[in-house]
Amino acid sequence: MFWQQVVNGLTLGSTYALIALGYTLIFGVLGIVNMAHGEVFMFGAFVGLLLVTTFQLNIFVAILGAMIVGCLLGVILEQAALRPLRRRSVSHLAPLISTIGVSIFLESLALRIFGPQAQAFPASVAGQLLSIGPLKISSVQILILAVSFGLMLILRFWLQKTRIGKSLRATAENIETANLLGVNTNKIIVMTVALASGLGAVAGVLVGLAFNAVEPTMGVTMGFKGLAVLIMGGLGNVTGAMFGGIILGIAEVFSVAYGSSSYRDAVAFGIIIIILLWRPQGLFGAQKGGH
Amino acid sequence: MDFILNPYYLQIVMFMAINAVLGISIYLTLSTGQLSLGNAGFMSIGAYVSALLTIKAGAPILVSVLCGGVAAGCMALLIGLPVIRLQGIYLAIATLGFGEVVRVIVLNLKITNGALGISGIPSMAVIFGKQLSEVGLSSGMGGLTLQQIANLLVLLVLIAVVAVLVFFCIRVHNSRVGRALAAIKADEKAAEVMGIDVTYYKILMFCLGAVVAAIAGGLAAHLTFYIGPKDFAYHRAVEILLFAVLGGSDVVWGPLLGAFLLTALPEVLRFAAEYREMIYGAILVVMMAFRPQGLLSTQTLRYIKEKLGRSRVNDTSTQPG
Repeated sequence: MFWQQVVNGLTLGSTYALIALGYTLIFGVLGIVNMAHGEVFMFGAFVGLLLVTTFQLNIFVAILGAMIVGCLLGVILEQAALRPLRRRSVSHLAPLISTIGVSIFLESLALRIFGPQAQAFPASVAGQLLSIGPLKISSVQILILAVSFGLMLILRFWLQKTRIGKSLRATAENIETANLLGVNTNKIIVMTVALASGLGAVAGVLVGLAFNAVEPTMGVTMGFKGLAVLIMGGLGNVTGAMFGGIILGIAEVFSVAYGSSSYRDAVAFGIIIIILLWRPQGLFGAQKGGH
Repeated sequence: MDFILNPYYLQIVMFMAINAVLGISIYLTLSTGQLSLGNAGFMSIGAYVSALLTIKAGAPILVSVLCGGVAAGCMALLIGLPVIRLQGIYLAIATLGFGEVVRVIVLNLKITNGALGISGIPSMAVIFGKQLSEVGLSSGMGGLTLQQIANLLVLLVLIAVVAVLVFFCIRVHNSRVGRALAAIKADEKAAEVMGIDVTYYKILMFCLGAVVAAIAGGLAAHLTFYIGPKDFAYHRAVEILLFAVLGGSDVVWGPLLGAFLLTALPEVLRFAAEYREMIYGAILVVMMAFRPQGLLSTQTLRYIKEKLGRSRVNDTSTQPG
């Protein structure tokens, strides 16, 4: 029972980690919280669903398609809501408010296009249960774990080793210095937002598979989970986002298993308040957070 | 007179007043340069506490609305204390989470009747009507029916609340506290160096904003007969933010203007009612890109005052001749 819950928590947590990676990449490079990330995530889930149901495509193709649409949405988001603000000095609240505008726009657009009711993936995707000793793992869970951990490993490697990854980290360190050193920071910023949104869209498909429900309001709820992980792991901290997501997933699954299921959405909030009281720089943040 | 007595228009004006109070609530928090996304949550605390007090305990409306305000203020203090010492972004995230948690709790508690919400809240108009008929005005007065008098009284109460709040904000703005707030908004570190207790003022304004939002919630609950958890979701928080973003958050008239415009918009344009949320989102993006200070800023207000002043001077100079 205990290990079964751990597996369920890992599955849920790995999707939270993917969502939080989107937030933390953008925060790391631009120093802003992208409030529209949850809605990009929700759009990704719907694109994946459409590709599987209407176009009868393989789930892997659907995940890839969702990622591409997510990247495109990210580029549009950057052009419409973030670039105009960078040209002049505005208060630190401006990008936050601007992306809130994008989030509410995308949510009502999804309501218009896809309707308010929750939709499910067809049963053929759900697959069968495998038993490994006392554990029961569905093929969907394996898919979720494989895709999210795979993406996280690729991202880590890419950030550490490749040239573009290095210029991204340089931009995150200091945008002006990176510019002086010959990094095209404008390009890096667009790429970061696109990459983060693509990851968010993949997370959308995975969460849609995990809960077997895709609906326009999932953006706000899951977006908030991602924000909680962002604070837990430390703003802009990639490793923190990965571990924070898994911790939140496991904490939620255990609160449902040994507590009350109706308050599972409150767990994230409780964790935020505890972290802010006890360690405002986040569990994995080394630098002084807060002020 | 017919125009004012038309119940449909009357209702719109009443909602404008409620929204104006909500706009002031976010203006108070924004006056220290912080963003609260939890004002819808505080509003729902005010609405539920006051509605339950009136229904279950039979408390008078004034008492129950004020109790709602106090309850929300205490909650704001609890959240504000750990969060406000940190960067502004933490408050936005924590209050967004707070709004979600309040919604989840309201959905699951028995006393709030879950997703069904509370109906049968005694409305102010009915209570005023009863009191009037006790005084002997049951047949109306001056050609007005009892119902119309009661409705006008409700409107007067709401306008009085808005007027008191505006007066309060202007007094604060021109005081020592107001200058401290402006300094914090302009540059927190510089304000701290000058000896302003930044954390104290930020918590003060955050809690005041919560109290005012809760009062708006309590008033709204006693206006509409019904409240449910859906009324206070994320959309409501964004709508409240929009009042200040569209109208401007430098001067108290800004959120008022925003509340009036945005309440009137869906009534004037049917098209706008259908695509409301999309228009809201577009307004937020466009305002931040082109006019982040909102429609009314300190400069525009000064400009309008100068214009008005000049025309008044012209009037007085032409009148004797």
